[in-house]
Amino acid sequence: MKNGRPVNSLVVDEDNLIPGNPTYESITESVAGIPEQKQTPKAWWALFLTAVSLAGLFFAEIGYLFYEGTGIWGLQIPVAWGFAIVNFVFWVGIGHAGTLISAILFLLRQRWRTSINRFAEAMTIFAVICALMFPTIHVGRVWFIYWTMPIPNQMDMWPNFRSGLVWDAFAVGTYFLCSLLFWYVGLVPDLATLRDRATGKIRKMLYGLFSLGWRGSNRQWRHYELAYLVLAGISTPLVLSVHSIVSTDFATSLVPGWHTTIFPPYFVAGAIFSGFAMVMTLSIIARSVYKLEHIITMKVLERMNIIMLVTGTMVGYAYGMEFFIAWYSGNQYEQFTFINRAFGPYAWAYWIMISCNVIAPQLFWSKKLRTTIPVMFVASIVINIGMWFERFVITMSLSRDFLPSSWDYYSPTIHDIALLVGSFGLFFSLFLLFLRFLPMVAMSEVKAILPQADPHHHTEQIHG
Amino acid sequence: MSPIKKGHTLTGKQYWRSLDELAGTPEFEDWLHREFPQGASEWNNAWSRRSFLTLMGASLALAGLSGCRRPEEHIVPYVKKPEDMVPGNPLKYATAIPMGLHACGLLVESHEGRPTKIEGNLKHPANRGRTDARIQASVLDLYDPDRSTVPSRGGVRSDWTAFVSFWREQFVAFQATGGEGLAVLSETFSSPTMMRLRRAFEARFPNARWVAWDPISDENRYEAIRAVLGRVHQPVFHYDRAKVVLSLESDFLLTEPEAVTATLGFTSGRRIESEKDQMNRLYVVESLYTLTGANADHRLRINSSDVGAFALAVAGELQRQGLAIEGLNGLTVPTMTGRAAEWLAPLAKDLLRARGESLIVAGSGQPAAVHALVMAINGALGNLDRTITYVDNRDAAYPSTSGLTKLTADMAAGKVSALVMIGGNPVYNAPADLNFAAALSKVATSVHLSSRVDETSAATVWHIPRSHYLEMWGDARSLDGTLSVIQPLIEPLYQSVSEVELTALLASGESARGYDLVRETWAGLVTGNFEVGWQTALLNGILSDSALPSIPVNAAQVGIAQAMASHGWSLRPTATTNLEVVFHPCYTTGDGTRANNGWLHELPDPITKLSWDNVATFSPKTARELGVQNEDIVSIQLQGRELSIAAWIVPGQMDNAVGLSFGYGREKAGRVGNGVGVDTYRLRDSQNMYRAGSATVSNTGRRYELATTQDHGSMEGRPIILMASLDEYRENPDFITGASVIPEFMAESEKAKERDLVREYPSSWKEPDYSTGYQWGMSIDLTTCTGCQACTVACQAENNIPIVGKEQVRKGREMHWIRVDRYFTGDVEDPGMEHQPMPCQHCENAPCEQVCPVAATVHDTEGLNVMVYNRCIGTRYCSNNCPYKVRRFNFFNYTDEYPETIKMVQNPEVTVRSRGVMEKCTYCVQRINRGKQVAKLENRSIRDGEVTPACAQACPAEAIVFGNINDSESRVARVKRINRTYSLLGELNTQPRTTYLASIRNPNPEMKA
Amino acid sequence: MAEGERKIYGVLAEFRSTGDLLHAAEKMHGEGFRNWDVHSPFPVHGMDRAMGLGRSPLGFIVGIAGTTGLTLFALFLYWINVYDYPLVISGKPYYSFQAFVPPMFAITILSAALAAFFGMLALNKLPRLFHPLFASKEFEKVTNGGMFISIEASDPRFKHDETAKFLESIGATSVEIVRGEA
Repeated sequence: MKNGRPVNSLVVDEDNLIPGNPTYESITESVAGIPEQKQTPKAWWALFLTAVSLAGLFFAEIGYLFYEGTGIWGLQIPVAWGFAIVNFVFWVGIGHAGTLISAILFLLRQRWRTSINRFAEAMTIFAVICALMFPTIHVGRVWFIYWTMPIPNQMDMWPNFRSGLVWDAFAVGTYFLCSLLFWYVGLVPDLATLRDRATGKIRKMLYGLFSLGWRGSNRQWRHYELAYLVLAGISTPLVLSVHSIVSTDFATSLVPGWHTTIFPPYFVAGAIFSGFAMVMTLSIIARSVYKLEHIITMKVLERMNIIMLVTGTMVGYAYGMEFFIAWYSGNQYEQFTFINRAFGPYAWAYWIMISCNVIAPQLFWSKKLRTTIPVMFVASIVINIGMWFERFVITMSLSRDFLPSSWDYYSPTIHDIALLVGSFGLFFSLFLLFLRFLPMVAMSEVKAILPQADPHHHTEQIHG
Repeated sequence: MSPIKKGHTLTGKQYWRSLDELAGTPEFEDWLHREFPQGASEWNNAWSRRSFLTLMGASLALAGLSGCRRPEEHIVPYVKKPEDMVPGNPLKYATAIPMGLHACGLLVESHEGRPTKIEGNLKHPANRGRTDARIQASVLDLYDPDRSTVPSRGGVRSDWTAFVSFWREQFVAFQATGGEGLAVLSETFSSPTMMRLRRAFEARFPNARWVAWDPISDENRYEAIRAVLGRVHQPVFHYDRAKVVLSLESDFLLTEPEAVTATLGFTSGRRIESEKDQMNRLYVVESLYTLTGANADHRLRINSSDVGAFALAVAGELQRQGLAIEGLNGLTVPTMTGRAAEWLAPLAKDLLRARGESLIVAGSGQPAAVHALVMAINGALGNLDRTITYVDNRDAAYPSTSGLTKLTADMAAGKVSALVMIGGNPVYNAPADLNFAAALSKVATSVHLSSRVDETSAATVWHIPRSHYLEMWGDARSLDGTLSVIQPLIEPLYQSVSEVELTALLASGESARGYDLVRETWAGLVTGNFEVGWQTALLNGILSDSALPSIPVNAAQVGIAQAMASHGWSLRPTATTNLEVVFHPCYTTGDGTRANNGWLHELPDPITKLSWDNVATFSPKTARELGVQNEDIVSIQLQGRELSIAAWIVPGQMDNAVGLSFGYGREKAGRVGNGVGVDTYRLRDSQNMYRAGSATVSNTGRRYELATTQDHGSMEGRPIILMASLDEYRENPDFITGASVIPEFMAESEKAKERDLVREYPSSWKEPDYSTGYQWGMSIDLTTCTGCQACTVACQAENNIPIVGKEQVRKGREMHWIRVDRYFTGDVEDPGMEHQPMPCQHCENAPCEQVCPVAATVHDTEGLNVMVYNRCIGTRYCSNNCPYKVRRFNFFNYTDEYPETIKMVQNPEVTVRSRGVMEKCTYCVQRINRGKQVAKLENRSIRDGEVTPACAQACPAEAIVFGNINDSESRVARVKRINRTYSLLGELNTQPRTTYLASIRNPNPEMKA
Repeated sequence: MAEGERKIYGVLAEFRSTGDLLHAAEKMHGEGFRNWDVHSPFPVHGMDRAMGLGRSPLGFIVGIAGTTGLTLFALFLYWINVYDYPLVISGKPYYSFQAFVPPMFAITILSAALAAFFGMLALNKLPRLFHPLFASKEFEKVTNGGMFISIEASDPRFKHDETAKFLESIGATSVEIVRGEA
């Protein structure tokens, strides 16, 4: 690590768990050592300052937005939804990979997940924070946003639970809370580790506070494990439901190009696709900054690439299917919308989407490419660009709907773009703070899958 | 009159004093004068609202003196007497709007003495309760914050008393010389009082001269009439009596002064209840694409300069088919080619079939020769005294360009020592070759009566603020001579006087009150007891039986040939290959006088759908040849004069024609109108007032951003406007069945049953029961709708719809609750045009409702899709899910930068929407509720036609019908049972309460399209 | 001596490996101790059986919470849409339950998740920021790599020295008396 102590390389991989023969202590050392570093790496500062200034831009823009009104964006009639909604769907999508890794792979006993699930979950939470920003600020009278929640009020009015937007508020809100609880529950034992290792008074106090006085007693582990299992269990349907519900914002409307039943599965696949791309980007940065190649191994990265290849191809299939259904429906408005997507005023966005989402992941058929860091790094970024454009293309179906008289071309203003860029600033600021102050790998889980963690490992002969 | 003096008897007194005190301080004075006329031209641009704080301060001071002040003279309300005026209940007063030689009767709604909404006077024959966009918007001019507030001398504040004393000196001086060197330049008018005073003036100053002139007028027509009949008579066109109408480049449905009257008459001949009814037929021959052309059954595009030749060819063809046309023999009939040639035979046949029931009308832009020829043809067809009558209006001051030319020459020669201009703005709009400004500078004493310190006032010694017609006494005759009193609804907001009052001063040297002057005139007009007659006239808005008798006319009195010869007129085709510039008045700004009216600027042109600008229009072919595209800035050279203006392509315009509209490029109109568009008067000379050949056009390579409200003009083959020819309709009366869904109540109607029309989509659950109580619905007849957009402005006035400005319109954020969609049909080079008004459809299964997260838009028991502003949080989801895209969003706080005076025009019965709120057509729910109140008090239910939304009320084509569809006898229910009724996008099962009647045209089967 | 005055909390014994810990736990259970516990940096497989602990009741808690949340919310939706403020929206029935499924689902999940989290804390009597065991310096290893067994003095079969000896006999590498208020 930084202070020169050698670290036994440890491999968390069911294929070969033995080499390097790591000890519990060495794991604690290499993971807990990071938040305990005396001097922060230069790279971290460089990244953090950039991110924070972008986050500053984000909040400045929001201030200006509240002062002037949504008119500062490129919105108009017919395109009354623009970047804000595109960004919302994009960020919610990012979150999904985190939940998938931490919940579904947990249930499937995919032990390789333990090296990445912690910051995959962190990513989920930060992504959902960014996502929740947008539907909140995009409304015309943001000071009444709470009316979307069933809060008793003097008007004696309730939200309209038929509206996809209310479904969103419930789905994404639930999603955020569950992910937060899941993440925190996982953190408690590791926070206890930091508590017990902490030297400074403040660190001891804070870590002590958040570790809730965890004693690692088995009577606690008993309930703890079940709670973790249950949370994993109920997060699993969320992976599928949240983006399905988000997709109903579009699917339950009657706008040609929105009104389609393929959206839920297609959105979920896209979400996992983009989510894994983001995890990839982040793990590559994290492991190079903090030299964690021995924990986040090439095997893990490769597995993620394969998942991207699969989901990317599913998304590609969905694109094709949309066209087929439009043609097969015999509905002239639908047919026009899709021809218009590929060859109309927004064709440029459509073809960016196709090349980024369908063509780029095909690289990963090659073993060599899916195990080359630079390739997968670039690919992961390209894929997220593509997925952003997917949502843009879908939203722009508005620009040409039923009556040609109302057709118009939407173009974003500088404020639209600033908010998009700013949201990345917010996301990375939060993520870098997480890397700096919290254990980015679930130590207790990694320890639990070490050979010596199995009670019957050394002591066969005793039983005889 | 002196407003100050009058002020003493008024509640507004202290306001006056307070302003005087304020105004007393020099800094306020300069500041007021600095702030008001210039600057803030972006007051409708939401981006820079801060710059208005100062402005509002100033307006506030003025608002004070323009509070709720009813005139002290005894004016009579239309429906109720003022004494039982209940605060909150608007009163309606009858008055009239003078429109040059024409006038329309109005009922003006007044809230606590504050006129807010203009409606037509049903009793007035000229418009029978109907209005157009220009009349609707005129109320905004009253509150125009850029109106001048006090008389000024040499740009320095003065007041009316000062001017009176000044004029007395002049008066005495001129009396000595009999008015030598004294001249008056007025607008055209048709007013007994004005004419009486003019005569008095001329009697007092025999050597003085009085010239009437309008930049855009029917002068050519009058010239022809003078040549043929010996003296000017006012022609009155009875479109309602015509079965076949041939328009020779006459835009009688839109830009001609009598458009409302003409539209009423013309559409009454097109309204059909069933396939068995008859329709009139309209042929239009024109160079530019006008709204009249858009409504034609057959439209022929031709060079404006060839229209005369075409008319002659028609005459020749008529003779060939055996119609004797007096005096035509002397003329050589030109031979037509191409489509024009194909037209002649069937057209002539059609005209002959409809002898005495046909009507040929030539446009104001056509030379006198064409008008003379048209008179002859109409005479030969026996249309005179039938579809066209002539009245001898002695109260009319007819326009005279020659008079203006001579006057200007004398001014330049220094022969004019004093010039009084009553209205008008010659410095801005006189023909360029006259060089009026230079001539004016030679005049020692110049006086200009004008609503603002405009281009002309800036160049005169005296500027006198002019009263708006809603704050003055006067009288006016409409074309047929019907006489109305113009009675004020509010005291003059500022120290302004009316033309009547100024003229009285000129003639007598004494300041008199308009009220007395008008009564004095009417003493001679009213028969029987004067007070009774006067009261009745005020009450009804017209003097009964005041329409002038039509005088029998025989066009053969003077042979056309002689007339031609004696005036050196010719009708030879010019076979022009070079570019021909065709000038036309802008529908909205007119000749430029309405250039500071935001409602009109924001109203898109019915043909180009462009707002906030004028353009040079080209046909696609010509544009290709010139290498010009939309928004390119082109340079137009014409007789050594040059103009740079943005280009716009209009399919269907004649090739090699360049369309230029007047009324833009004002420099001193006010904060709204300054610098909007390009001043095209600079290209115009007194010889070529309406068209000029041999122009050269070059692309400057520069671009100019234009704001259009409709980017896409094709229906993309979608069933949006359902159309058929009358013959197709007769063959298949149910041609719309299957093309769209039949509304539910129709399916239940007898008629529907026998034609076994059923709703295509059975509901999967029990739908709300709309079978009891009032169930509001609307029907829009696309056959009669001309696309004039009177509805749009009427709605804007009634519902406090904000003006958003060019930038916002360009972004696609115009706020109009009822827009008029324009679609091109058929051939790209020479297409037809259809218009479709598009208000909220009030769907029973409204898609907008289910997506609103806060239930801010829901359905009420009467089938209205109601929008709850207070509940709206502005997600805009409803707009996304509205297939008709009729919802409008307040992206900014569009109203908070309104000057106080503009706030006075707002309708107190309609919420002013704040930022971040969605809004849309409400079927004028405030009127529905008022109707219910009235009915409840009288313990009855609302009568059919008692509640009318602003759009339906204004529509001069009577195309919009509104009412209770639950009452099978109501007009709307009957109209909806017509077999042409269809719901737009009905296949979405939105079940709109607004349905359309398919558009039927009546082409001549013998004529190839 | 100083500790003398302070009440004894119990005995803390450290073990070498998960294996030893497991067998020790089995023996403890066999001896019939009650107020004792096993401490490890991660859950040790099979330890619940070794300590003779049953299944955690958390599952039921979560299940009940989920169903309750769903039912109450469904009733709530019925009340607001049918009784409290019925509105005609897009011509649909007042109680369009099909459209209410997504929020109902979300509420079910949410109540279950909250129950799981707070239920776990309650069952574990957490947060409890101080515990006598924290007095032991050795005990800090428990979140790193250390394996411990602790017996509280309150246990009826707790006998000061015998218990310590017994612990060594079942493989404890070191035994420590822990003092402090439980």
